[in-house]
Amino acid sequence: MSDAGVTPAVSALPRRLDAAGSARARSLRAFLGMPVALIGAALVGVVVLVALTAPALAPYSPVAQIAKPLLPPGADYLLGTDEFGRDELSRLIWGARVSLYVGGLAVLIALALGATAGVLAGFFGGWVDDVTMRIMDVVLSLPALVLAIAITSVLGPTLTNAMLAIGLVYAPTFARVARGPTLTVVQVPYIEAARSIGASNWRIIARHVLPNVAAPILVQATVSFSTAILTEAALSFLGLGTQPPTASWGLMLSAARQYMLIDPWIAVLPGSAIAVTVLGFNLLGDGLRDLLDPRMRTL
Amino acid sequence: MRYLARRAAWTVLAVLGVSVLIFLLVRLLPGNIVDIIAGTEGQLSRAQRAAVLREFGLDRPLPVQYLLWLGNMLQGNFGWSFRTGQPVATLIASRLPITIELALLAVLSVAFVGIPLGVAASVSRSLRVRTLVQIVGVLGLSLPNFWIAILLIIGASTLFGWLPALIYVSPWTDAWVNVQQMFLPVLSLSLGLSAVVVRMTRSSMLEVLGQDFIRVARAKGLATRAVLLRHALRNALIPIVTVLGLQTGFLLGGVVITEQIFGLPGLGWTLLNGVYQRDYPVVQGTVMVFAVTFVLVNLLVDLLYTYLDPRIRYE
Repeated sequence: MSDAGVTPAVSALPRRLDAAGSARARSLRAFLGMPVALIGAALVGVVVLVALTAPALAPYSPVAQIAKPLLPPGADYLLGTDEFGRDELSRLIWGARVSLYVGGLAVLIALALGATAGVLAGFFGGWVDDVTMRIMDVVLSLPALVLAIAITSVLGPTLTNAMLAIGLVYAPTFARVARGPTLTVVQVPYIEAARSIGASNWRIIARHVLPNVAAPILVQATVSFSTAILTEAALSFLGLGTQPPTASWGLMLSAARQYMLIDPWIAVLPGSAIAVTVLGFNLLGDGLRDLLDPRMRTL
Repeated sequence: MRYLARRAAWTVLAVLGVSVLIFLLVRLLPGNIVDIIAGTEGQLSRAQRAAVLREFGLDRPLPVQYLLWLGNMLQGNFGWSFRTGQPVATLIASRLPITIELALLAVLSVAFVGIPLGVAASVSRSLRVRTLVQIVGVLGLSLPNFWIAILLIIGASTLFGWLPALIYVSPWTDAWVNVQQMFLPVLSLSLGLSAVVVRMTRSSMLEVLGQDFIRVARAKGLATRAVLLRHALRNALIPIVTVLGLQTGFLLGGVVITEQIFGLPGLGWTLLNGVYQRDYPVVQGTVMVFAVTFVLVNLLVDLLYTYLDPRIRYE
C-alpha cells in the first residue's frame, strides 16, 4: 500500500556492501550480473526469432489436421501431434507469435496508461496525485488475475479483450514506478531553472522528467512482459483468452488436460514454452535492473 | 492510533472503490442484460422486457442501483444467481471454506518451507549457493502454477499410480481423504512462491547479518543458532512478510486456476462458473469477496510490521 512509513524497509533491502568482501563481491556481481542478463537476452532473442520466422520455420500449418491424433514425437512429426492430429511443433512455433503479440501489446497498453498517469501525478502533485494514485490503489486492491477474469468475462473472451484486460490490470504498477522518479526530479533546482527561463510544463516533462523515468520503466516493462505472457496463458487456459483453433500455449495446455494421462507430451511441451519465455524475460529484467539501477542489485 | 485510524479508513475506501469498479464493470457489458437474464435473445416483447428490468431493479438510475446493491451487500444480501435463483451469499458461504483451507495451507507451507530454507541458505556466502538460490527464485517466478499442477497430476499418476478422489470431500466428513485431495493443489500453489520466499529471506538475512549488533551477539559468545534465529531472523522478517503479503494477490489468482484444475468447488471455481454461465451476480459477489480478502491481508501485513518491529509507530 502507499504508506510512506513502510517503503524504506522494502527499497533498502537487497543491499549489502561491507568492507571485507566488498571488492570481491563487486566483481562477482559484475561477473554474475552480466551472464544472467545475457542468458535472459538469449532466451528472449530465440523466442522473438521463432515468432518472427514462424511461417518459414514451422514444418506444417498450425491448424491443419494432417495426421493421427496424439502421436508421440517421431521422424515425421518431430514433437508429435495434438488431440486433433495437428503438428505439435508447428503449433508451438506459431504460439510464440500469439504470446509475444498479446504480451507486447498488453505491456504497451499498461505502459501508456500507467506511465502517463504516474508522471502526471508526480509532476502536478496535489489533488491530481491523490486522485490518480488512489484510483491506481483501488485497481491494485484486486488480485490481478481475478480482475482480468472479470474484465474478459464482461468484454467477451477474445484475444484482443484479454490483451486489454491485462493492460488495464498492470497499468497501476507502471504508474507507481513512474511516479517515484518524477517526484524526485521535480524538486531538483534545474527544473526551477527551466521554469524560470519560461519552459512550459510539457517541455519540462519531455526534456527533463521522461529521461529520468525511462530506465525504471524499461526494467518494469521487461518484467511485466513475463507477467503479461503468464496472464495471457492463464486466461487462455481458462478459455477466456485466445480462442480455438489459434495456436496459443495456454490454450494448448488447457486442451492437454483431457489427454495428459494418455499423452503427457502435449501437456509438457506448451508449459515448457511458457516457462522458457517467461524465464527469459525475468532474467533479462533482473540483469537490466542491476545495470540501470545499482541500488536495486539483487544479492 | 492515528495511523491505525487512517489505515482503517483507507481500507474502507479501497473496498468502496473496488465495489464501484465491479459495479460499473458489469454495467458496461455489451448486449442487453435482459437477454442474459432471460436467456432469450430478441424474443421478449417490450412489456416483458420492462417487467424483467423492474424485477431486478434495473430500471432505476445507475447511482440508485449502486447504492441499493451496496446497501444489500452490507446486510449480507449479494443478490440472486441468474441461473439457479439461489442467494449468492449462501453460495459463497458454502464455497468459501474450501478456498480458505486451500489458501491458508498454501501460505503456511510457503512460510514453513521458504523461510527456514532461506535462513539455511544465508549461512553460506558461497557463490554456488547464491547462484542456486537466485536460479530457483527466478524459476519460481517463471513456472506457471497451472503447469506445475498438471505436471504434478501426470507425475502422481504415472510414477505412483495415484490420483486423489475426484469429488470433493470436506475435512469434517473424512479428514484423510480431504488431506489427500488438498496435497497436490497446495503443492502446486506453494512451490513457486516458496522459491521466491527463499531468495527473499536469504537476501534479507544477509543484509541483517552484516550489521554491527550481529557481530556483538557473536562476540558475546551466543550460539550461531541463537544469533540467526533470535537476532537476525527477527529483523529480517519485515521484508519477508511484505513479500508474502504482496504475493497473496498472486496466490488468490492461482487459487482460481488450481481449483479449476483439481475440481475443488471453492470460490475460484464458483467465480469461473459464474463467468462461463454469464451469471453476473455470482461474478460480482465472488470478485468482491476476493477483493475484500486481499485488502484485509494487506491491512494485516501493515499491522504485523508494528508487531515485528516496535520501532515502527507510523507517527
